[in-house]
Amino acid sequence: MKPITQIIENRPWMAWLIFLITIIIVFIIGLLASSVIERRAEAVFVNVPKTEVSQFEPRNSVWGENYPREFQSYYQSADTSFASKYNGSQMIDMLEIDPRLVVLWAGYGFSRDYSQGRGHFYAVDDIRNSLRTGGPTNETDGPQPSTCWTCKSPDVPRMMQEEGVSEFYKGKWSRLGAEVVNPIGCADCHDSKTMNLHISRPGLIEAFERQGKDITKASHQEMRTLVCAQCHVEYYFDKHKAEGAAYLTFPWDKGMSAEAIEKYYDEIEFSDWTHSMSKAPMLKAQHPEYETYSLGIHAERGVSCADCHMPYKSEGGQKFTDHHIQSPLNNVANSCQVCHREETAKLIQNVYDRQDKIIENRNKLEELLVYAHVEAKKAWDLGATEAEMKDILMGIRHAQWRWDFAAASHGASFHAPIETGRIISTGIAIVGETRIKLARLLARKGFNQEVSYPDIATKEKAQEFIGLDMKKLKEEKQAFRQNLLPKWIETAKKREAGYDKKVGM
Amino acid sequence: MLIAGIFIGLFFFLFYVSKAYSYLSDNPETCVNCHIMSPQYATWNHSSHRRYTNCNDCHVPHNNVFNKYFFKAKDGMRHASMFALRLEPQVIFIHQAGKDVVHQNCIRCHSKLLLDPKLVSSVKNQSVHATDRVCWECHREVPHGQVNSLSSTPNARVPLPESPVPDWLKKAIAN
Repeated sequence: MKPITQIIENRPWMAWLIFLITIIIVFIIGLLASSVIERRAEAVFVNVPKTEVSQFEPRNSVWGENYPREFQSYYQSADTSFASKYNGSQMIDMLEIDPRLVVLWAGYGFSRDYSQGRGHFYAVDDIRNSLRTGGPTNETDGPQPSTCWTCKSPDVPRMMQEEGVSEFYKGKWSRLGAEVVNPIGCADCHDSKTMNLHISRPGLIEAFERQGKDITKASHQEMRTLVCAQCHVEYYFDKHKAEGAAYLTFPWDKGMSAEAIEKYYDEIEFSDWTHSMSKAPMLKAQHPEYETYSLGIHAERGVSCADCHMPYKSEGGQKFTDHHIQSPLNNVANSCQVCHREETAKLIQNVYDRQDKIIENRNKLEELLVYAHVEAKKAWDLGATEAEMKDILMGIRHAQWRWDFAAASHGASFHAPIETGRIISTGIAIVGETRIKLARLLARKGFNQEVSYPDIATKEKAQEFIGLDMKKLKEEKQAFRQNLLPKWIETAKKREAGYDKKVGM
Repeated sequence: MLIAGIFIGLFFFLFYVSKAYSYLSDNPETCVNCHIMSPQYATWNHSSHRRYTNCNDCHVPHNNVFNKYFFKAKDGMRHASMFALRLEPQVIFIHQAGKDVVHQNCIRCHSKLLLDPKLVSSVKNQSVHATDRVCWECHREVPHGQVNSLSSTPNARVPLPESPVPDWLKKAIAN
């Protein structure tokens, strides 16, 4: 082949041809390159959040703009129509159903009011309305510490960030009434950048640290339980950790069984209150749901809370986690039946069977505990001494702790039926022995007959029996709802109106 | 010379911006160079297969190296052209050549399951069912899940390619 210069010399039009062809090729490659750039740039828009959400954004609807499916399903927890045999999503006045509870909790806030709460959506409303939080008239008034807000709202991590954790736990419940207004939601469990599950409450992190475990090493599946374990656990208020603070603490240092926690409390001589009749130093189990769940077969097989209470669902071909957190009995198809190939009715019956059997003995233990409290009171009335009563009171404390550990962890009779049955039976054994000691003591004091069972057929009768002035408590609550509460809501509205991001809906 | 320089430079640019060099690797991130593969990446990344396989383990042949790269080049050119010309459908289906490759790759790893005497003797028609159809006719959700379309994983976090402008240049421009 001749050199190119010679070709051009011979036929000058060839130069123009090469020039033209090069233009065309470069032009086409340029087009292709810009197409590649264009399509590559689209990647930036594949997953663009509609709105910027900060980690301490307490308003769930703002997060919901980015994640409409999750938000809308979360919002369904406002529905209170589902009722199962013992629980469900509606409010149930447990004292009405079971007036024995009033006597068991005599001298403690729970005897005033104890209802099965509704869904997360109502967390703030329900704590405002409960008679246990009393009727504060200003921000330094009322029976409960600010710590009672800890599990109620994504405003809590926001305030902990602003004030510091110890500061948050200081002062009265009413101190933060205008700050904590949004119900439990997105920021409680999610990281705003990655939407990964994250722990927002210090109590769980600290409890893990004291046990020598690192919660940041938890797997995603474990996190699907641990985010729930931030709140659905047994806890107490440590008054010694920080000056003036009711420091929320999990009593897990010796283990998470009923016995281990009981031992922990005994060693630090902690009691939630002194029973107004028996004078026993009582423990109130809060809601050791994570602890009891951990002892059941589902936990053993690696099933997380979310697997049943927030199962995956599909909508328009898109799979996501159902954020309508609820009883799996209202959604058997997506929860139980993912693993168990039985009929819905059969599966529900399986749950009820376990609950029925557990509650049978739980009711018996309750009755025995009522007896023990009134018998102990009788002993005090007959002049028993503290030394004579010491063992008896510890017996009552332990037996009622076992009862409460089983009763307060609402799902326990299903989550861990064998363990729950075992705990209740130890309670029955302890209260039985205690009542033998009581009978001997009463006999020594010259009273050798049955102490009659009080007439506590209704909640009202029981509350009258323990000497509660319910009329006054209700009036105080009413006054709070009329005077202080509207101010809280007003202040909160003003504050949120000043946030950078306005709620668009 | 000048003309040739422009020509080659442009070619290099195309090579860089399309990340052509990445196609020689087995890295699954390569497959989301085209963002429309996000649902496939996300579903694989949430499946048990992510533990032991990458995209190429299933989607290119492994009988010999030559065939692997030949198929990869052939399939890749098709995908790249479809993507560049915006011919992708809302729901992407695998074509026959791809099916054959995937099926061979199922067998490559799971052959013991097909020959397991325990299964052959206890499962009715095991040998027939294991030979007269493709695996995913029954194992429909392995590993990409139940539903697939370009929009089936809206919030999945997928390592999509970032801006091709290098950081030093961004900094220089910002200043």
